[in-house]
Order: sequence, then structure tokens, then C-alpha cells
Amino acid sequence: MVSALSRSRVPMQFEVIAKCHTTKARVSRMSLVHGVTMLPTFMPVATQAAIKGLTAQQMEALGVTLILNNTYHLNLRPGLNVLNAAGGAHKFQGWDGNLLTDSGGFQLVSLSKFTTITEEGALFSSPFTGEPTMLTPEESISIQHTIGADIIMQLDDVVSSLTTGSRVEEAMERSVRWLDRCILQHEKSGKKGAQNLFAIVQGGLDPLLRDRCLDAMIERRDGVAGYAIGGLSGGEEKDVFWRIIKQCADKLPEERPRYSMGIGFAEDLLVCVALGVDMADCVFPTRTARFGVALTHNGPINLKLNKHAKDFRTIDENCPCPTCKDRTSRAMLHHIVTHETAAAHAITLHNIVFQAQVMGRAREAIIAGKFPDYLRSFFAQYFGDAGYPEWCINALRSVGVDLLEGKPNAKVILGNGAKWEYATN
Amino acid sequence: MSQSSAAATFSFSLQTPSRYGPRIGNILYRRTGPSSEPIQIATPGILTATSRGVVPHLSRDNHRATNAIRWVNVPFETFLEHNPPVPTLQPGLNPLHTFLGFVPGKHILSMSGRDPYDGREMPPNGVQHISVNSLRGVRKLSPSDWRSYVLSCKPDIVFALSDIPFTNPPYSQKRLTKSIDRSATWLSAILRPAEGERPLNVLVHMAGGTSAPARKAFSDSLVEKLYGPEADAVAPLTTLDEAVAGYSFDLVPLRQSLEVSEKRDPRNASPTDLNPVIPTHTEQIIPLVKASLTPLPETKPRLINSTESPHEILHYISSVGIDLFDAHWAQRAADIGVALDFEFPVRSASDERRDIGHNLYDEQFTYDFKPFADAFRGVISEEDSSSVPICHCLACSPFHPPSRIYHGFDTPEHSGTPIRDPESAPHYKPHHTRAYIHHLLHTHEMSAHTFLVMHNLEVLDAFFAGIRSVIAERPEAWTEEVEKFLQKYDGSLKVFEAAKASWKAVELARGKGRLAREKEKQDEATLGTVIETDD
Ligand SMILES: [Zn+2]
Ligand SMILES: [Zn+2]
Repeated sequence: MVSALSRSRVPMQFEVIAKCHTTKARVSRMSLVHGVTMLPTFMPVATQAAIKGLTAQQMEALGVTLILNNTYHLNLRPGLNVLNAAGGAHKFQGWDGNLLTDSGGFQLVSLSKFTTITEEGALFSSPFTGEPTMLTPEESISIQHTIGADIIMQLDDVVSSLTTGSRVEEAMERSVRWLDRCILQHEKSGKKGAQNLFAIVQGGLDPLLRDRCLDAMIERRDGVAGYAIGGLSGGEEKDVFWRIIKQCADKLPEERPRYSMGIGFAEDLLVCVALGVDMADCVFPTRTARFGVALTHNGPINLKLNKHAKDFRTIDENCPCPTCKDRTSRAMLHHIVTHETAAAHAITLHNIVFQAQVMGRAREAIIAGKFPDYLRSFFAQYFGDAGYPEWCINALRSVGVDLLEGKPNAKVILGNGAKWEYATN
Repeated sequence: MSQSSAAATFSFSLQTPSRYGPRIGNILYRRTGPSSEPIQIATPGILTATSRGVVPHLSRDNHRATNAIRWVNVPFETFLEHNPPVPTLQPGLNPLHTFLGFVPGKHILSMSGRDPYDGREMPPNGVQHISVNSLRGVRKLSPSDWRSYVLSCKPDIVFALSDIPFTNPPYSQKRLTKSIDRSATWLSAILRPAEGERPLNVLVHMAGGTSAPARKAFSDSLVEKLYGPEADAVAPLTTLDEAVAGYSFDLVPLRQSLEVSEKRDPRNASPTDLNPVIPTHTEQIIPLVKASLTPLPETKPRLINSTESPHEILHYISSVGIDLFDAHWAQRAADIGVALDFEFPVRSASDERRDIGHNLYDEQFTYDFKPFADAFRGVISEEDSSSVPICHCLACSPFHPPSRIYHGFDTPEHSGTPIRDPESAPHYKPHHTRAYIHHLLHTHEMSAHTFLVMHNLEVLDAFFAGIRSVIAERPEAWTEEVEKFLQKYDGSLKVFEAAKASWKAVELARGKGRLAREKEKQDEATLGTVIETDD
């Protein structure tokens, strides 16, 4: 255990350990108050202080060291008074590992129809009383201080990635101004020793706006411990998505972690890692598990389908998760999926481990100098039959990896990529 | 009493034999094979209920971490959705264990045709079948199919098929006669030893409905010497009872019949009903149980399905010496947000009457950071109350797992995280709090039920351990201890009603759109068990 004193001296240590010789991928060690997380990593989402159906003890056993809570939700329930009385969100949910909270802004915009953004903050109607309520950047930071996550996010002015026109520029510029207010609030709070503020790069799909935002936020690097790339994963073309990620990752400072928000598909994760991203989060792997979809290195499988009813193989023979290690059969999972919560638990355990394995193998490959090989073999196995998404080929070519090398007859899927068994959800 | 076989032995011994009074005993189940440590179950004790073959809300790691789970009953009817039923195709030495993820060295698995808690109206049974429920509708299950499923699945214990009507109570004398005849015939079908097959450990349901003479007649038919073709059918057995491992009683059909005979409205109890409003009718059922047991040897275990409270359990132990009880009601309490909190024997005789648990939906728990129960503490709960016993459930006594999965370049040598000796004693963490579960219930998080199930099963298991200790050490104090318990804890189970009401209120607050969308899924039958799909 680190003493409280030394904790306050060293809020975050971020150290790049190895870099891929070809791509922009890197392995780093991020030490926070609640432990060390090796990057790149995927962060499972515990929206309301629980990974749905699982316990903190299980998450620890799965080898997860960093999870995400949503500020918007925790602020509504249990509320800050309860979290304060509990001694913070870690203690409240019995989680001793690292924790990241978002600013609450994204959910305000996506879950509340009546949110209006003003320079002061986001104005919304309280879900409890209906009264107009303001979430300012200062307020967001102070809420996140109460929650007590190891990594906290600035409040940004979120616009859908499909928005065009002057609103995108306005949101980007306001996000920079709000970053200043967040930094100020964080500096004066005295929490800087234990919690780390990340900035969120905005600018929509416009490279010029992104560039201006990057410049402004990099200027403020002394006030921020890391950078997130926001405003993506909102239904934009994948070919645009990766270019923005690349642009941001290329420009962001080497010595700060880079976090791509809302990314969870395996192919997206690996492309982002190759472009230089260190962290990502998404509800997809845990959510799709509850619908009966298990992620595997051969592509997702939908256990609801009748073809699994008499299949005594487990999800993935080589998977170290508790479900596969115990050789839980697809037939058994098929029997209980969407009927018993235990099915959701079993597949959630597996999917979380799958995500961790995808990232863990990336780390090992980078260290071993074999990351391009890993990319090629992963994509061949994952998309071999379904076809390679063209955007992944393009994205990886931009960092010197040709997925189709030696595969002149490979099937290529145009547009946003392959459709899996889970597409019916 | 024991059944010897080449495959496995099931034996039951009574330390304190008693025909109708409280008694303690021991079930010993010994498998052959290299890891043949016998499984022991002290009685009175519990069996854990399953739904579609799983202990609801528990992943395999969690059900294994719950030591109260030792005997698990598997109603087989849901598997009849496929023909042949999928578990019968499972290869291996212990197919049912393997398919469902139970551990042969730790868990005794029994297999019953129907869910004993399911009292819904059904089409009539026939001469050669009972009607069973599956998701794809009603299926017919014949004694010969039952035998073949059992031989394929190799459970440790099997319930013989019993002709229990769920059509339209009350049942005529003629119907009851048919019922006991069929049940006896079906029993002989499963008892019949066959070449090369291992003899089965068979529990027989005590047929005869609410007619004491019919019940006695059924029991008589078990012990009477068989002649002619009947004897040939089960040779070398000379009576059916010879090969019967124990006796079981299903309360749901009895309650339904008694309710109708009192001209009340029988409520169809489904396996997912929380606490059927049907009164328990314990006083009327006790003589019926006795009528069944009178002709039978007292040395075999007796099992009752579908009690609803610790109060009822104590009655059945006191009056008819029941040895085994299903835990269904305690598991269902977890579905509606109730954390059980009771102890036997009562240690502190306080004046205040208490509920047997806490409705954690209640606002009073918003800031309550205590462990789930007052009667138990976590291993490292702060209160300086070493006299309070420990609840070893993973909610009250969570710990850092002795090992974790590594995914690549994240082992201690790379991350610098101190390594934990997997051999060392568990590194316990503070208990999960009532406030946390209150939050999880109000936010519809499935984890709430996981914690509550593990806790409730441990509390129930501790209750039975207390029962055994009183019978063993202070049998003369039994009546007094039962009285103390009945005095202290409210037997009307108001807390369950309150929890159910809270659940409904939370559902409504979640918004009409969602309710409309999932109307079908959100009816009471699925209360607390629906898989959360929202984020
Ligand atoms: Zn797995
Ligand atoms: Zn407990």
C-alpha cells in the first residue's frame, strides 16, 4: 500500500515502455493511486457502479485494472451525499482498482432532450424535479472529485459527429474555454494529488477544427494528465473516423496517455492502437453479452441461434475466462441465454476477457516487435471468411501495415465493415 | 439404510432417530474413482433450487464460492424443448454435472421431472405420462422416457415420476386412487434394476393428495411384498420400498387442494411466484405427512418442497421430523431485494419483534453502510462484535481473488504490482453495504440479486446449522428455542409484500416507454429475474 502522502505527490506516472517499429502503437505503464494499468487497455463500463451482473471481486479475478463509471448516472443515483458518506465511489462499489469517470456532459446531451448549452454550462431539466439545472465545467469537476475517480474528464461541449456547420466550431472553441475552467477548478481543489484530469479533443469531422483544438489543448498540457479524442463513434463513416483518430494521435504529446472514447469493436480497438491510442471504453462488449453474443477471435457468435443448441464446445477453447475455462458449453448457454441472468453473467465474463486478451496480445506483440504480424493474423482470423473491412485496410496501410499482404484473393467489404451474427440486435 | 452399487453409494444415517420429532442425520454420498472424498450433507439441511439448470443469478464461480450450495435440484422439464433433451447427449462420466457446471466432488445433483414450485394449471396426466411445462409449451413425459433420460444424465438422485394432478382441485376419490396406482407403477419403472446399469438413488413423492387414507394406502403399497408380474418387474426386489432412498412431499398441490376445499379461490402458483398468497395450511398438512410416514421405516430421509419461511420449516421439523428443505423461498427473496437476517437459536432475546429480512429497496437503507444482516458480520466488518457470527457470502466477506488472469505484459514483473501468494489466507475486503445494494436495486442492476442470493443461501444454511446444534446438544431446549424464534420474528412475512410493492414502484418509475416495450417480460412472473439490456 502506498501511503497517503506519497500518493499526493505522484498522481500519475506515465511511462512509454516500447514502441512498434512500424505503426504508432506503443506499450506504456500508467500508475495511478489505485494501482498500475498497462496500456493499451480496454476499459469495461460500470455505468451505475457495477459491471452489469458481476461483482468487483470477479472483475479483479478477470485481470481488469481500470473500469469506468458514468458521472451523470452516479450523480442522480446514489447521489453525491451518499458517495461522500461512503467515502467515494471506490469504497461504495468495493472496487480497489483504477476508476475513470466521464464528465456527465455526453449523457446529458444524449439522454435529456431539453439540454441547452450556454457559455456558462449545460442547462437541463432535472430528472427529479423538472427544474432547470445547470451543469458547469466547475460543477462537473467538483462532482467528479466527490466520486473520486483516478481519472476525471473535462466537461466538453458535445455535438453529434454528424453535426455540420458553425455549431461544430463553436463547440470546439467552447470545449477549449471549458477546459481552462476545469483546469482551474481542479488546481484549486487540492485533489490534484489523487485525481488526474484529461482534456477532450473536439472539432467534429473537420481536420482544420481538430487541428486548432489540438493546438489549443496541447498548449495547456501542464494542466492535463492525458487526452481523450471525443466527438466520434456517433455514426460517422469509418473512413473518416480513423483519419481523425490518426490526426489526433499523431499530434498529441508523446508523454501523455491517449484515450479514444466509445470504441469497443475489436477491429476498431486494434486500428486505434496501431494509430497510437492507449485507452478505449465502450458498453458494447458487456451489452452484447446480455443479448447472447460472445466475442471470439473467429468473430462474434450469437448463442441465441439454434445452431448452437447441441454444440458441446465451449465458446473458445483457448480463452482463459471462467466460462471457457470451465468448458461451459454453447449448448448450455443457448439453453439459458436471455432467460437467465446467469447466462448474461457467463458471457459478460467471457467478453470482458476477450477484450482484455485482444489488448494484452497487442502489448505483447508490440514488446516483441511483432505487432504488424499480430494485426495481420488477428484480422485474418477474425475477418477471414466474412471479409476484411476496407477502412481497416486503409487505416493500417497509413501506418505501414498491409493486411492483404500475400492475400491477393482476400475478400474486402466496402463501407463500414462486416456484419456479424449480432447485427440483428 | 444404504444402496450399494458399483458406481456410487448414497447413505443416510440418523444420529438421533425419531419418528416424528426433530432429528439430525447425515447424508453420505460416495462416488467411485480417484477423487472419491464423500460428499456429506448434515440434516436437517437444504437443497438449492435451479431454474433452467442454473442457480438463478449465479455464474459458476459464484455458485462454487457459495458453500451453502451442496445439494442442487434440477427440474428437467425445461430441457424437453429439444428431443432428445440436450443434457442426455452430454458425454462424460457425470453428464448432468458437466452440462450444468456442478462439481462432482462437491455437489449432489438430483433430477425431478417437474419444478415442484410450479402449481400452474396443466392438462391432465395420462396412464403413461405426466404433463410438463417447457418454453415451447406443454410436453408429455413418460416413465420410460424418464428412465432413459436419467440413465443418460446420471444424476446422483432422481425423483420418481408421480401422478400429481394440476387440473382442477379438489380431486375425487377415484382420481386419487388413480394417482396412487400410477405413482406406484411409475416408481417400479424407475426402480427396476437393469443389467449393466447402475442402481438409481430414487426419492419417491408421497402420493395421495389431501386424503389421509389415500396417502396411507400409497405408503402401504410401497412396503407390501410384491407377487406375480409386479414382483417380476422389480426383481430381485421384494418390495418397492427396499430400493427407495427417501421420501418427498410437495406442498404446492396440497395447499391448492386444501384452499379449494375451504371454498376459497386457489391461486395458481407458478415457479416464479414470490410468496404465493395461498396460506401455508401447515396445521392441516402435518397430519397428511404423518399419514404417509406411518407405514414407512423412520430411517430414510424425508424432504419437503416449497416451504415459505423459517417458521414453517421449524414446524415441519418439530412435528414430523423432516430432514431436507428446498431453499426456493430464500432464493426468491433475493429476486425482490430482500436480504435475510435471522438466526437460530436466537441469541439476544430482545423485546422488539423483527422481520426475517430487510427490504433493501426501502429508503431507510440509502445511507446504511452496515453488512446485510444484523445477525451476521463480514470477516472484517468494522463493528467490534467478535461474538457475532460471520456470514461467509461474497457480499458480507468478499476478498481479493488469490489469482487473476494475465493478458499480456501485465504480470507483476512488468506492472510492478506486488504479487499475491495464491496459497496465503484470503485477503478479505470490507463487506458490501446495504446502501450499495439499495442503489443497485433502484438502478436495476443485476448484481444486486447476485449478492442477495449468495447471502440468503448462507443465512439459511446457518439457520440449519443452528437447528442441528440445538437438536444435538440441547434437545430438551428445542421447544423453547422454537418458541423464542417464533416470538422474535414476524411470521406474516410483511417484508416480502413490502419488497414486492417497492419493486413495482421502481418499475413504474423507469418509464412507460420501457414498460410498454417489455410488457411481456416485466410481468410478475419475471420479477427480479429479467436480464437488464439497457445501459
Ligand atoms: Zn471465454
Ligand atoms: Zn452475507
